[in-house]
Amino acid sequence: MKFFKSLTTGQRTIALSLGFMLVLSIVRLFTNADDITSSGTISSTLRVATPILLAGLAGVWAERVGIVNIGIEGMMIIGTWFGAYGAWKWGSWAGIALAIFAGSLVGLLHALATVRFNVNHVVSGIAINILAAGSTEYLSIIFFKGQKGGGESQSPAGKGGYGEFDMPFLSGGRIGSWRSPDILGWLEKKHDLPLLPDLAGVLRGLVSDIYVPTIVAIALVPITAYILWRTRFGLRVRSSGESPQAGESLGVSINRLRYQAMAISGGLAAFGGAYLSTVFTSTYRQGQTGGQGYIGLATTIFGNWNPFGVFRGAILFGFPSALKFRDEKNVPSLLLVIAVILIALGVVSLMKNKQILTMGLFIGSAISAATYFLVDDVPQEFVAATPYIVTILVLAGAQQQLRPPAYAGIPYRAGENH
Amino acid sequence: MTEQSHLGQSHLAVELHGITKRFPGVIANHDIELLVRPETIHAIVGENGAGKSTLMKTLYGMHQPDEGTITVNGTLVQFKTPTDAIAAGIGMVHQHFMLADNLTITENIILGAEPVDHRGRINFKEARDRIEALMTSLGATFNPDTNVSELGVGQRQRVEILKVLYRGAKILILDEPTAVLVPQEVEELFTTLKRLVADGATVIFISHKLDEVLAYCDEITVIRQGTSVAHTEPSQVTRRSLAELMVGSDLPDPSGRETKVGDDVRLQVTGLNLAGDIAGAKLALEDINVAVHAGEIVGIAGVEGNGQFELCESILGLRTILSGSISVCGQELSHTETRERINMGLSYIPFDRHREGLLLDAPLWENTFLGREENAGLTNGPFISRNKIEADCRTIIDRFGVLTPSEQVPAFALSGGNQQKLVVGREMAGHPKVLLAAHPTRGVDVGAQAAIWDELRHARDNGLGVLLISADLEELIGLSDRILVMFDGRVTAHLNPATATPEMLGTYMTGEEQGVDG
Repeated sequence: MKFFKSLTTGQRTIALSLGFMLVLSIVRLFTNADDITSSGTISSTLRVATPILLAGLAGVWAERVGIVNIGIEGMMIIGTWFGAYGAWKWGSWAGIALAIFAGSLVGLLHALATVRFNVNHVVSGIAINILAAGSTEYLSIIFFKGQKGGGESQSPAGKGGYGEFDMPFLSGGRIGSWRSPDILGWLEKKHDLPLLPDLAGVLRGLVSDIYVPTIVAIALVPITAYILWRTRFGLRVRSSGESPQAGESLGVSINRLRYQAMAISGGLAAFGGAYLSTVFTSTYRQGQTGGQGYIGLATTIFGNWNPFGVFRGAILFGFPSALKFRDEKNVPSLLLVIAVILIALGVVSLMKNKQILTMGLFIGSAISAATYFLVDDVPQEFVAATPYIVTILVLAGAQQQLRPPAYAGIPYRAGENH
Repeated sequence: MTEQSHLGQSHLAVELHGITKRFPGVIANHDIELLVRPETIHAIVGENGAGKSTLMKTLYGMHQPDEGTITVNGTLVQFKTPTDAIAAGIGMVHQHFMLADNLTITENIILGAEPVDHRGRINFKEARDRIEALMTSLGATFNPDTNVSELGVGQRQRVEILKVLYRGAKILILDEPTAVLVPQEVEELFTTLKRLVADGATVIFISHKLDEVLAYCDEITVIRQGTSVAHTEPSQVTRRSLAELMVGSDLPDPSGRETKVGDDVRLQVTGLNLAGDIAGAKLALEDINVAVHAGEIVGIAGVEGNGQFELCESILGLRTILSGSISVCGQELSHTETRERINMGLSYIPFDRHREGLLLDAPLWENTFLGREENAGLTNGPFISRNKIEADCRTIIDRFGVLTPSEQVPAFALSGGNQQKLVVGREMAGHPKVLLAAHPTRGVDVGAQAAIWDELRHARDNGLGVLLISADLEELIGLSDRILVMFDGRVTAHLNPATATPEMLGTYMTGEEQGVDG
């Protein structure tokens, strides 16, 4: 424990990831569920996680500036529609650009309601969700109905895809017309070895078959962190969410900041929506977001209002979803993963002398393992629900150490504190 | 050099002439004169509501005066916003700190005046160097990268002062800076201020605590009912004459009684022990023995946080005691519910009227009904009777002279003194047998104070037993029949108010022990 505490945050993350990899590797050897760490699973994890990541970042921008944004779901819906419309008319990148623009406007609408008219943030957010769902349906009837492939609840297919990216040498990417060797791909197939093929699989997953929009979304994580913690604009945004009076008394225009940050938040959420309708699939479909905006907001909280934390949360949700997408037979092996992790947590809590917690963790572990060995046929519903269950469990466990921006969601009127 | 400083005398740091500020329906300031010499600590004293804060907001550009002129360092100025005032070298430390808890000290200080490069990136090194230089000149030692949430009140105030200095202020306005500080911190604050003054700054210090004004300030301007009534120096006044300048008349006198203490014991606390908040920590209350007779006021003196609050909550049944007994009118009640204790005649004027005493958003009549839900005179069977409650509320308003347009206005619309009168009125309305009165006149002006004292005396003469907890030593000595001193969760001294002096109380309150013989 002492050794662990002496590590920096970065070193701890690496140590924990390696530990987690070891667990996955053991489970893979034991269950022959090779997909658990295959590059295919990892790259589809990234794909599934991207819209959630973007929604989570939208939540970070909104809550950091002091506005609770339940409307992320609605902003994503707007993004799915405008993304598909742009992609259908002009091509995929135009779709994303149009979606971001439309989303920013919806973000500004939320800011107008909460800042200018002091509407309760949750009420305004829910109104936006309803408005978005209704207006996209209406727009579909006007623009998509009667078009080839389009209808009341569906858009025609978008034009053009996005570039996919493979890293040269590591995952067989091309340099010019020459195809480089796929070193990680070769390593990954050595299934009998422990750990090595797992690491290779995960790494290869991170650098092969990636859509360029995914790379952009992941790049937005450090960019958001940099802006929030290193620039004047970011400091002011954070101060607005912590204590708007402080900024106001020093001549910072809180209202303008809130409009700006909400435009960013809306744009990010709509980017996430456009990803669903132009990257993940190539058409808009009604109800396509399926609550991913809310999951994104949950990752904002789980990630402690920090972009890197949001990234972790999005991956956490994306991983079981990707496993499920690839082959539902993989899901039961997750039970074993959970069992091993619970044992590890139990040992840690035993060292901290927390008997009751330890007992609970060991019992949980036993139940998990027993379910894996005794139940042959995991019900379909359980498989579908797994990502949500994992998210809820982690959220419940992480809740205690979280520290939200002190002023998020609290009504504030500029100039009333003097 | 002498010549120049002599010339400098004609250049005052701040000169206000004929300042008048009206708000709808009120004249907050009229015809105020204020002359502040550079490199001095200038105190502005006055009662609550005398107009001190309004005046300072005028000087800081938070609003504009309707009449009068402002001159800073010899130049006539007009401030439209605080930004103008900051540019003229004036800084203000607000009474309620304006700090973001989850940001670091550095971030809080530079907010709004960040050193940045052309791309908007903050130059943290430059910021840190400047802040550390300022800290050295202040004599402050903390790591500028710690979060403000980890700082105590005194340190937070230091950060507020740094914020002002960082912006290059030479004239500092401090709005009741000592209201939130413990005595040691007050001393540290003035050490800091003296250092600043020695380095060429000018400090304007708003207060109504006369002791610290007399001890630390160079000059004093007294404000009364919106206008300046005197400009003096500590050497020319006494505490009492300064207080009379503030009030404009003879001070109310808390002392004097003709009736006798009754024989029957109203409140008896015996061998009370209470565990501390943290398991395994020392006791919050240790072997407390207090008896209050009918018609008696027993004063509890002590620096806040030495167990007074816990004692009140234990008597009320809000905390589970470890051992000991509490009885009211001879009836043991250490295991009964709070509701039952109140029904037996306990009443409580809480420490913090905003936190415990009132629902600020609720109208006055609802507030006077609080805690009296089982009073048959205010209800119709299971339903509340709004007519009866409103009539009762009007009675309280009349009897205690609460200044309010009606019983329908929300409690936050009342001034602090009137809120307190309402709370006191409510607690007295049920004719209690025992009253726990915690700081009954805290933060109220002298008129309201006199009214509350009269009510307490009157009720006492009619047989009420009062446990009076107060930080106002004159109030304690004047009203009490006996005084107990609490220190560190124990009763450490028993004093006779006829012979006790504030100095004596001060000694015991800071830890001196007396052989307690009951």
